[in-house]
Amino acid sequence: MSSQGGFGQSKEFLDLIKSIGEARSKAEEDRIVLREIDTLKARLSSPNITKFKLKEYLMRLIYVEMLGHDASFGYIHAVKMTHDESLLLKRTGYLAVTLFLNEDHDLIILIVNTIQKDLRSDNYLVVCAALNAVCRLINEETIPAVLPQVVELLGHQKEAVRKKAVMALHRFYQRAPGSVSHLISNFRKRLCDNDPGVMAATLCPLFDLITIDVNSFKDLVVSFVNILKQVAERRLPKSYDYHQMPAPFIQIKLLKILSLLGNGDKKSSEQMYTILGDIMRKCDSASNIGNAVLYECICCVCSIHPNPKLLESAADTISKFLKGDSHNLKYLGIDALGLLIRISPEIAEQHQLAVIDCLEDPDDTLKRKTFDLLYKMTKSSNVEVIVDRMIDYMISINDHHYKTEIASRCVELAEQFAPSNQWFIQTMNKVFEHAGDLVNTKVAHNLMRLIAEGFGEDDNTADSQLRSSAVESYLRIIGEPKLPSTFLQVICWVLGEYGTADGKYSASYITGKLCDAAEAHSTDDTVKAYAVTALMKIYSFEIAAGRKVDMLPECQSLVEELLASHSTDLQQRAYELQAIICLDAHAVENIMPMDANCEDIEIDKNLSFLDAYVQESLEKGAQPYIPEDERSGLSNISNFRSQDHESSIHALRFEAYELPKFPVPPKAPSILSSSVELVPVPEPSYVADVHQPATSALTVSNSGSSELKLRLDGVQKKWGRPAFSSTTPSTSSGDTFESNNGTTRHESISSTKSKVHDVSYDSRKLQPEISTEKQKLAASLFGGASKSDRKQSYTGQKVSKTNSHGADKSNLAKVASSSDNAAVIPTSQPPPDLLDLGEPSVTSSAPSVDPFKQLEGLLDPTQDTTKLSSGGVGVPNAPDIMSLYADMSLSGQSTTVANPPPNAIKTHLAKQPSKGPNVQEFLEKDALVRQVGVTPSGQNPNLFKDLLG
Amino acid sequence: MIRGVIVMNDRGKPRLVKFYEFQPAEKQQELIRSIYRVLCSRAENVSNFVKVDSLFGQDVRLVYKTFATLYFVFIFDSSENELAMLDLMQVFVEALDKVFSNVCELDVVFNFNKVHTILDEFILGGQVLETNSSEVVKTVEEISKMERAANSIKVVPSIPGWQGR
Repeated sequence: MSSQGGFGQSKEFLDLIKSIGEARSKAEEDRIVLREIDTLKARLSSPNITKFKLKEYLMRLIYVEMLGHDASFGYIHAVKMTHDESLLLKRTGYLAVTLFLNEDHDLIILIVNTIQKDLRSDNYLVVCAALNAVCRLINEETIPAVLPQVVELLGHQKEAVRKKAVMALHRFYQRAPGSVSHLISNFRKRLCDNDPGVMAATLCPLFDLITIDVNSFKDLVVSFVNILKQVAERRLPKSYDYHQMPAPFIQIKLLKILSLLGNGDKKSSEQMYTILGDIMRKCDSASNIGNAVLYECICCVCSIHPNPKLLESAADTISKFLKGDSHNLKYLGIDALGLLIRISPEIAEQHQLAVIDCLEDPDDTLKRKTFDLLYKMTKSSNVEVIVDRMIDYMISINDHHYKTEIASRCVELAEQFAPSNQWFIQTMNKVFEHAGDLVNTKVAHNLMRLIAEGFGEDDNTADSQLRSSAVESYLRIIGEPKLPSTFLQVICWVLGEYGTADGKYSASYITGKLCDAAEAHSTDDTVKAYAVTALMKIYSFEIAAGRKVDMLPECQSLVEELLASHSTDLQQRAYELQAIICLDAHAVENIMPMDANCEDIEIDKNLSFLDAYVQESLEKGAQPYIPEDERSGLSNISNFRSQDHESSIHALRFEAYELPKFPVPPKAPSILSSSVELVPVPEPSYVADVHQPATSALTVSNSGSSELKLRLDGVQKKWGRPAFSSTTPSTSSGDTFESNNGTTRHESISSTKSKVHDVSYDSRKLQPEISTEKQKLAASLFGGASKSDRKQSYTGQKVSKTNSHGADKSNLAKVASSSDNAAVIPTSQPPPDLLDLGEPSVTSSAPSVDPFKQLEGLLDPTQDTTKLSSGGVGVPNAPDIMSLYADMSLSGQSTTVANPPPNAIKTHLAKQPSKGPNVQEFLEKDALVRQVGVTPSGQNPNLFKDLLG
Repeated sequence: MIRGVIVMNDRGKPRLVKFYEFQPAEKQQELIRSIYRVLCSRAENVSNFVKVDSLFGQDVRLVYKTFATLYFVFIFDSSENELAMLDLMQVFVEALDKVFSNVCELDVVFNFNKVHTILDEFILGGQVLETNSSEVVKTVEEISKMERAANSIKVVPSIPGWQGR
């Protein structure tokens, strides 16, 4: 092989790769690639290119697209190349289209015909190439075009073709299950294929099918067990062995299928016990693949109906995994432990030390897996340790996705198992502080409700203690920079409600803090709104308590600023604050009762308090109220009645206001009128007269009312409750337009007036509203767990819980807290036998320069650049290229060397002796290089140390 | 199912990219960059597995291994076994080594069509098709022979290196 020069590619391609390799920045690389694209565009459009040139251009296109640049201008050439007779070109064409096109691309239709033809080819390699393309390119629409042929190929004499046909059918099933649903029996049939490879390929679609519908494949349990038995007993040809294991990949697939079939099915599971036991006993746990099979066995044992003996050996295997040096095995061990503890939870305790080790491991993957495990085994007795660990880890990572996941897990566990209120609040504070913007706002509301309601017990001192500690912690935190918005909202709310409740802090202190927070987060309207409402609460509590309120100057300036805010919500709150401060103590106490946020606000849906007002209005001659459902019939009549004299007015308004918002309604009348014009009716003017006003009036009435609705919606979203929003629009549609406008506007104003009161409660209402919805959830979250756990925390003797289970877990807790010492051991362990990564290649780069230098002796400029570029120093590209063109054969090949790895350089150099000036020298170097660099005995890095070793 | 196979060098340059579910070019680049970032941050002597559910969705994992200057990366979902994937990667590299006799990065760069051929013999449509490197090498050699035979009929003497290797 090495006798062939240039890697079978043209010099241009070599140069391209070389210059891209030497590019010092992404921008430079992009420039090179864009230049290449221009070249290719020009070349491809030239009329007379040979097919083999075209093939090369296609390869270059693939390369360009792999680097992230658009090569769509050449797709058509790839499609054309699939039509070629030559296998080489055809395969290249297929490769290009499978990489370029997705299955819905327009060009696919041009390939289907070729694929059909190729599937019929006598040459099985052509058939295979076509099947490859089928797997990638055929979509739901084109499946019928090739399906009969693919089915036919299931009986092809070559097993390679049969295998691929099975896969293609599987692919069709994934794309469009309906299209091949009548062919599923074929998969069963292929399971009995003479060739084990075809049988193995059939396991893939069967696995998918069984995942979806277990029950229709229960009859195959016996067959699968039999196959597995034959495989395990080495009945398959030797060629299926891998590292002394009999067909391990087939075993794994079978075990996966069996674990699906045996899940929750005692009868099927019993058929598997013997073979599972055999495999686990026989498996070679020294090799990687042996462990893969063992792991799959554990998964299977944990999934099927439990068998104590198998579970025991599974546990043994897990402990072997966990005790091993390999991180891969530890990872699988932790994963398997997570499966096993679902069946026998007591097993966790044996492995607590190993688990803690994994938690301290520098390997992030292992750590995450361990957190998954801990999450699964959290109990009220160990929740503190686990959540603390999780939070520490959460703080340490930057990965947004995982941070969110772990934060929500912390919240979930804390809500589920919190041992004490104090702990819960502290935990939530931490979560909010570090990932506040990532957690659901519901969590914040839950926290506020918890602080307001306590833990649902009638122990007021405990509740007020809880609140005081919350206030204290929040006063400490509030000054910190960069707090998440959600957290600040919670802080403001709690400080407003309870900041002055225990008399420890003065109102001016709390209000000062709140003002600072509002100022520090001046861009966040929600936080400011919470802060102002909190200020209002504190002032009104002060007034209600009979103390004189002195507004701090910063508060005053804040309120003044908010009075002019562009946010109507903030304005509203500021005005309310101003108004409340001027009221007397009695009024304020009614508006803002102390600690009343948990009291349900009764909503009088009948609006009985308005009865007197309604009565009065009726007496004065107002129209009585007509319910909405009775009104619908009337509205048409009123429209008709009013249309004659009002249509003109409304048409005017309509033109002025509605046109930009509703492009469709204005068209309706014009279409109608034009159609009227087209109809040859004797008196067109009459028709037009009758219809046009009517339609315009109708459209006006529709759009008019919807316009009113829109406006009111806007108002109500800000100030009102949904109860009101439904009434106002309905009235508007009931009345005639003139009165309609008047009344609705009036109503909207009056409703906002009546809302003023409500808005002041807005933030408080939040709580009771949610609480009615989710009281049950909260009870399940906090009620049960907290009762039992609180006793523990009060007695301070969590460990002494008689439950053996709890004791075990708290042991774990102890271990975890003292595990810092234990953790030192794994980190200081010598590196396992995985391949060394960067280090050897670094050390070897120096000697590798030498032969290179010798070769390059004549080419000074090139040598310089290559040296420099390998050292990462910026050098203008020009001389390099110049030199390349100056000396085509030598520099072109040898400068390629600058960038690839040392052994690659040597191999590469060695592989083209014919092109160099001195063949003898090259051959000697080749031998030397192969000894030093490429064979495993040398000190240089080589690709296959572990392979050959 | 296997979602993708990526070979890239230790500076993040892709050498072979194959996704079994179509990914648009920009998305591919983004994925390659993110994967490279993850791999770079991995210490030595740690496991070969990485959770990549933030890139590919729930329960998708990645197995990687370095061979000299190249990262080999397999991305797959829960229907595959991590250790088995690691071995499949090993078999794949073994096959490369046999076909290119002492494979190096440049072989992969310049003959990526051939690497694709080899890979297609192992994995088809995201499913593992063959796990024996000798079988694959046999098939690939047969293909090469056929290609060369087809080529010699065409007679293109001006380009000596065309037969592929």
